[in-house]
Amino acid sequence: MSMQGALPVSLIPGDSVLHRVHPLPKMIWVVLYVVVAFMTQNIIVLYGMALLALLLGIIGGVVKPLLKAAFIIVPIGSSLLALQLMAPAVEQPWTQIAQLGPITLYEDGLYYGLVLLGRIVACLLMALVVVMTTHPSDLFTTLSKLKVPYTLNFMMAMTLQLIPVFQREVGIILSAQKSRGMKGNGFQAVLPSFVPVFVGAIERVQQLSISLESRGFGSAGHKTSYRQVRGKASDWVLAVIAIAAAALLGTVSIMRGGWSVSELLVVEPATAVAVWVVSASVFLGIIAFALILSFRKS
Amino acid sequence: MTDPIITFDNVTYTYPGTETPALDSISFSVLPGEYVAVLGLNGAGTTTLGLCVNGVVPTMLGGDLEGTVTVAGLDVGEYAVREMAKIVGMVFDNPEFQMSQLSAAEEIAVGLENAGVPYEDMIRIIPETLALVGLAGFEERSPLGLSGGQQQRLAIAAVLAMSPQILIMDEPTSNLDPIGKQEVFDMAARLNKEKGMTVIVIEHEVEVMARYADRVIVLNEGKVVLNGTPHDIFSRVDELAALHLRVPESAALSTLLARQGLWKGETPTRTESAVDAVNTLLEARRG
Repeated sequence: MSMQGALPVSLIPGDSVLHRVHPLPKMIWVVLYVVVAFMTQNIIVLYGMALLALLLGIIGGVVKPLLKAAFIIVPIGSSLLALQLMAPAVEQPWTQIAQLGPITLYEDGLYYGLVLLGRIVACLLMALVVVMTTHPSDLFTTLSKLKVPYTLNFMMAMTLQLIPVFQREVGIILSAQKSRGMKGNGFQAVLPSFVPVFVGAIERVQQLSISLESRGFGSAGHKTSYRQVRGKASDWVLAVIAIAAAALLGTVSIMRGGWSVSELLVVEPATAVAVWVVSASVFLGIIAFALILSFRKS
Repeated sequence: MTDPIITFDNVTYTYPGTETPALDSISFSVLPGEYVAVLGLNGAGTTTLGLCVNGVVPTMLGGDLEGTVTVAGLDVGEYAVREMAKIVGMVFDNPEFQMSQLSAAEEIAVGLENAGVPYEDMIRIIPETLALVGLAGFEERSPLGLSGGQQQRLAIAAVLAMSPQILIMDEPTSNLDPIGKQEVFDMAARLNKEKGMTVIVIEHEVEVMARYADRVIVLNEGKVVLNGTPHDIFSRVDELAALHLRVPESAALSTLLARQGLWKGETPTRTESAVDAVNTLLEARRG
């Protein structure tokens, strides 16, 4: 009975080059990705970053679970593109590109939608790659080396442990309620189980806190760490290269006022319409699907 | 005469927000290396008694404590629970509720890390402790993926790693199957015999208590009503029945036989002694 598999995003065990990189450079990559992604408006840079993250995923041998987890981008991305095309989040005046009945589509919206999407895709992929190739305990050990308080670290580590436990508990309570004749499916059925799960959680936490306190949790004085994470010279080379690349991209972006390359994106009105229709229908389709799932009676 | 390691001196404790005391004028002491079984119905105060020894009562739970609990020469009321951790190891009924880490080794490491044990010692202590509870080689296993008995032994290992002088187990086997129960009790008995550890077990399993314990303390409505050797306590079949407590089957059987005039002599409290007694009885009849 493996509980770890219940988590959608967790370590994919392996022995790739990426798995062996120290967690600190990996954390630095994620931070740099976020910083650069929000400094630049250059879609070539953004999608290049996403591609690099994907490449790292391939090197780490986690590309399949990576793409599965990254599926969450679909609803976000489709809504983003559809809405941005109609109402760009940039200053007016907007360049009109097509008219669909009452709906006006703008060229600026398409470009800016792609920028926003690129930021999300790049940062998400990178974060997922790092999470999937780093043992959580190593991550927390590294954080505590960085003087992140022990208690905070412990909280995060414990959360990872408790999520599958609560998932199972919800399952047990749902079965119990169904066996007593409760009807309903999806969200409707989950709602009544919240109270028992919550009460159970409080009891569990109280017991756990007594158990931890009995093992000296929170004692004053020097603490030691069981997990030892050692860095290699190559880890620091990777970190330095990343910092240098990020500094370069960041500086250029600032100097060029966002480094927008919207002039490179020449779109036909028909293409804009097609993008809008596809993204809007995907988005609405997902909403409809979710609604049907949650209100379908058993 | 050795000094007792645990002394309850006229202890009365009331939980916050309640009127009736959970413990009522409790006095007893435990010698180092003793194996004490605490018996009582749910609500008799057995759990509260256990929590007093490492200071969860009253330090963590609040409430009103009168009298003094002295453990290894320390007045428990004066110390935080985490400071008592080096002296008292505490194991609770639900093993899963005591797990917080991603691997067995890290679960054991929690106590050691907090005590500031150096890494070099940890990598020695952790496999040793796992071997001690029969979980050798389980370092990287997820605690949640273990069976109930294994989980409980891991919980025990997590406190043993800190080498406490006293091990308290509160209904350690109530969630376990018969094999799991056996594993836990065998281990506690071994720790008691081989390492001279003081063991206090709060249990309903009277057969097991009759076999392993040096002494049995019976609680009822927060008071110590009986305190003596297992043989002495479990022979008092009627007194225990009046308290709605079970006695070992052998004692129950011999008492019933005695009432019909078929049994004379001592009340056996262990299965073996009952078998011997029955054999003697049968041979006498045949002869």
